[in-house]
Amino acid sequence: MRRPLRYAALILIVAVVLYPLVWMVGTSFKSPEEIVNNIGLIPQHVTPGNFTEGWHKFDVGFGRFFLNSAMVSLLTVTGNVVSCLLAAYALGRLRFRLRGVWFAAMIATLLLPGHVLIIPQYILFRNLGWVGGDWPYLPLLVPHFLATEAFFVFLMVQFMRGIPRELDEAAIIDGASPYRIFRHVILPLSRPALVTTAIFSFIWTWNDFFRQLVYLSDLKDYTVPVALTLFIDSTSESAVGPMFAMSLLSLVPVFLFFVAFQRLLVEGINTSGLKG
Amino acid sequence: MHTPARTEPPAPRGPAATRRGPGRVRRRENLPGYLFLSPWLLGLTAITAVPMLLSLYLSFTDYDVLTPLSEARWVGWANYERMFTSDPSYWHAVRVTVTFALIAVPLKLAAALGVALLLNRAFRGVGLFRGLFYLPSLLGGSVALAIVWVSMFNRDGAFNSLLALFGIQGAPWVNDPKWALETLMLLAIWQFGAPMVIFLAGLKQVPAELYEAASVDGAGAWRRFAHITLPMLSPVIFFNLVLETIHGFQGFTSAFVLSNGTGGPVDSTLMYTLNLYINGFVRLDMGYASAMAWVFLLAIGLITVVLFRTGRFWVHYSDSEGH
Amino acid sequence: MSRTTTPRGDARPTRAHRTPPPAAHTSRRRLLAAALTVPLLLGAAACGDDSSGGGKTELSVFWWGAEARAGLTDQALDLYARKHPGVTFKKTWQANQGYFDKLATLTAGGNAPDIFQIDDNYIAEYATRNVTLDLMPYKNDGRLDVSKFPESLWQYGVVDGKLAGVAFGENTQGLVFDKTLLDKHKLPAPTTGMSWDAFIAWAENVSRTTKVPGTQDPSADYKAFWVWLRQQGKDLYKGKELGFTEQDAAAWFELWKGARERGATPTADVIHEGNVTDVSKQLVVTGKAATSWVWANQMPELKKNTADELGVVAYPGDPSAQWARASMYFSVFRGSPHKDVAVDVINFLANDPEAGKILGTDRGLPSNLDVRKQVADSVTDPAMKQSIAVEAELVTEFGPPPVVPLPGHSEVKTELTKAAEEVQYGRQTPAAAATAFHAAAKAAIGQG
Repeated sequence: MRRPLRYAALILIVAVVLYPLVWMVGTSFKSPEEIVNNIGLIPQHVTPGNFTEGWHKFDVGFGRFFLNSAMVSLLTVTGNVVSCLLAAYALGRLRFRLRGVWFAAMIATLLLPGHVLIIPQYILFRNLGWVGGDWPYLPLLVPHFLATEAFFVFLMVQFMRGIPRELDEAAIIDGASPYRIFRHVILPLSRPALVTTAIFSFIWTWNDFFRQLVYLSDLKDYTVPVALTLFIDSTSESAVGPMFAMSLLSLVPVFLFFVAFQRLLVEGINTSGLKG
Repeated sequence: MHTPARTEPPAPRGPAATRRGPGRVRRRENLPGYLFLSPWLLGLTAITAVPMLLSLYLSFTDYDVLTPLSEARWVGWANYERMFTSDPSYWHAVRVTVTFALIAVPLKLAAALGVALLLNRAFRGVGLFRGLFYLPSLLGGSVALAIVWVSMFNRDGAFNSLLALFGIQGAPWVNDPKWALETLMLLAIWQFGAPMVIFLAGLKQVPAELYEAASVDGAGAWRRFAHITLPMLSPVIFFNLVLETIHGFQGFTSAFVLSNGTGGPVDSTLMYTLNLYINGFVRLDMGYASAMAWVFLLAIGLITVVLFRTGRFWVHYSDSEGH
Repeated sequence: MSRTTTPRGDARPTRAHRTPPPAAHTSRRRLLAAALTVPLLLGAAACGDDSSGGGKTELSVFWWGAEARAGLTDQALDLYARKHPGVTFKKTWQANQGYFDKLATLTAGGNAPDIFQIDDNYIAEYATRNVTLDLMPYKNDGRLDVSKFPESLWQYGVVDGKLAGVAFGENTQGLVFDKTLLDKHKLPAPTTGMSWDAFIAWAENVSRTTKVPGTQDPSADYKAFWVWLRQQGKDLYKGKELGFTEQDAAAWFELWKGARERGATPTADVIHEGNVTDVSKQLVVTGKAATSWVWANQMPELKKNTADELGVVAYPGDPSAQWARASMYFSVFRGSPHKDVAVDVINFLANDPEAGKILGTDRGLPSNLDVRKQVADSVTDPAMKQSIAVEAELVTEFGPPPVVPLPGHSEVKTELTKAAEEVQYGRQTPAAAATAFHAAAKAAIGQG
């Protein structure tokens, strides 16, 4: 396609796709009365009030929620990347007894709707003594260090299957152990898988609402998604403006995370090669 | 539960990619295998399996959440029987979900592929454009998103203003049982960022020589797309298809936030998992909800297997034998 | 999750502390049940017991609401803590989204908060499953004082003869209208006691004159349906059964079908918008209808979102069908290790003048009439003044309260909305929708 045409098409699509978001930005600069009465894109009176009000609305500043979310997200990323990589290497590259059974079990854990697991898991974690301690994030984080997010295991298995077998075989002939192969062949070539896992686990954790709501009980421990729901109590008060303002701010870290890593992601997959 | 939709399926590689060359070295790796698997095994047995089996057990009981678990009353197959014989809303939700998945999944993949094709060149600002197209997916299933969507798609919303420019009189979309599900589909399609990224990755893999050779042969843009891009991309299409299908059937969050947790108007957006949630947490009938979850697992597992089977006929793996 | 110091070796009847079914049961499923629950329960025995050794008592308190309520509740609890050294609070609050999901999850884990807020949609669910402590003995020996409460108000917390929760705030149905709009067109305001037919005729007239639909269609609104039923000598629930027949429901749907046909209400999609929206976007606020059906204490929040002046009267028909409804309750978890202290805290919050002054009208009019008077005198918000005035006027006419909604009530509400909307969208006749609704409601409350 010719260049100007491409730009025109892209800009048109971007305009349509981003309209709802732009509307959100416009609304976040409206006063409370205007939010109800002016559904248009442009505020009649631009006011930053929603941002300051939202940031300071609760006894704990929104900065604290950002820090909590960042901590939970980064630790989740670490846990997922490390533990899923180990499991994926076993399931994707090693041959051992019952491997097929374990792989099927892993896929099965992906398919059960999560709602019916909430209560059994809560009971389990409570009995393990993880709930309500001084550091309430244990039940949110420990599972990620044990590769319970089957999605990422599956993802990395698929990536690893793309790494040419000949590399292992050459290494085996050279007398390398599976551990050496992991360290010197698989690990370096798994960068795209790791980056993808990092991006997706960061974004999902940043947006995860209910699990964080269940396990966090002190305002100062709340994360961004939990704090965002505090603005709207449908039976009494709803502060839509500040909620929009804080929602937009909460997009900034994930957006930056994505833009910074997308290059790595796309290039990364390229180097791993879909060639096979 | 109210977790944001998992819009991001992973990247590439088909099952056939596991096929190995004939000359591979065979050896048993039991010890290292289990060593590497041990964190996952520990997680499976200690964290995942117990709640899963417990939910399987609960699916045979009358468990109302508030009564102690150990007092849940065994009811045999009653929950399953009820689902299949005497709960019309169950089948209604199944229909809604299947309709949703059948329409939204292909359209979302088409949108993702189309935009990926536009973005698959190096030009100024391409990174920014990718980021912008990914933005809607970052919003996940937040309350803010629900408010925005409802504002866009009610009677006096922006979408109808747009239609009015073309002289079309719009419907009250989100508030109309005839159109609410379509509005929900549009939301799913709008969040096409994740499959787009994966398509982009896949497009990068298509060797440029193939296009050059085709151009020499005088093939037009459409023929190049149909004969080179599509087949070369099929493993990635396949993966996006499998994961978006699973995700489409599991769709909960957007239906939940858009309808205020009711699946309304008049059950028009009552997705399977939303119905399950309502039964489990609103009606406190967790035994029944658990039975629904296990039927879902079997059904979706079956669909996944079928997808894998059909994939053999149209997914083109460049590393398969005889190619 | 709520106690930092956990009890040890105490036989309190917390949920997960139950011993698993005896192994003597030979049937396979029993074994399965035991096998599954044993590992879950093992941990429970390990995390042990009461903490009151050091004279320190920590109570967990859980409520939903917005930030304003959080601030007030914080202050009131701090006041208690100041007066009772040794008692501290672990306070958790959130908006209503997900509140009951979390409460149910905590309860299932045997870890419900010592004190939690609940409303009449769920109180019977929790009370009939013995999650809430029966406060009747405390009331009888005076440790819980409800003597200054209107009789009907505290009784609205009684489920199966047990006092399941203490009403925090009285409330009643309120019909809110856009006074500015009516004045502009020189139209009369609706009045308390006008008949339903007169009201619909009034709304029709408003639609015609102002081009703004006269009233939101309340046929999907259980509280309007309920008041209307009581005026017909029926009720939503009687004993453990539904208090109305299929014909009653059909007549109700028919009444509003007629109103819609006369143009007294907005179109079905706008009605639906009003049905699902939160309080700040009621149609009377967004200008899509001249009247909305709300709770009287929601006036201030409505007022905040519109420049127009609002008025409030009772729902149409005989106002004695309305009652002093507890807008919400505080309940005590039956498995709490500090039951007596928890009850004392609730007693303090309900009756202490200073605490009452802090809490104000945030949860509704204070239950304690002395506190109410004191608070009412000091209220400055004009919208709040209005709702207090209406409540004060109606209180003289209130009839006895109905039974607290039965377990399954939230599903009954959902089914009513569904049936009413089927009629509104013209997809079902009133009779057909009424049949479906009646059957579904019966099933929801487990009536044979």
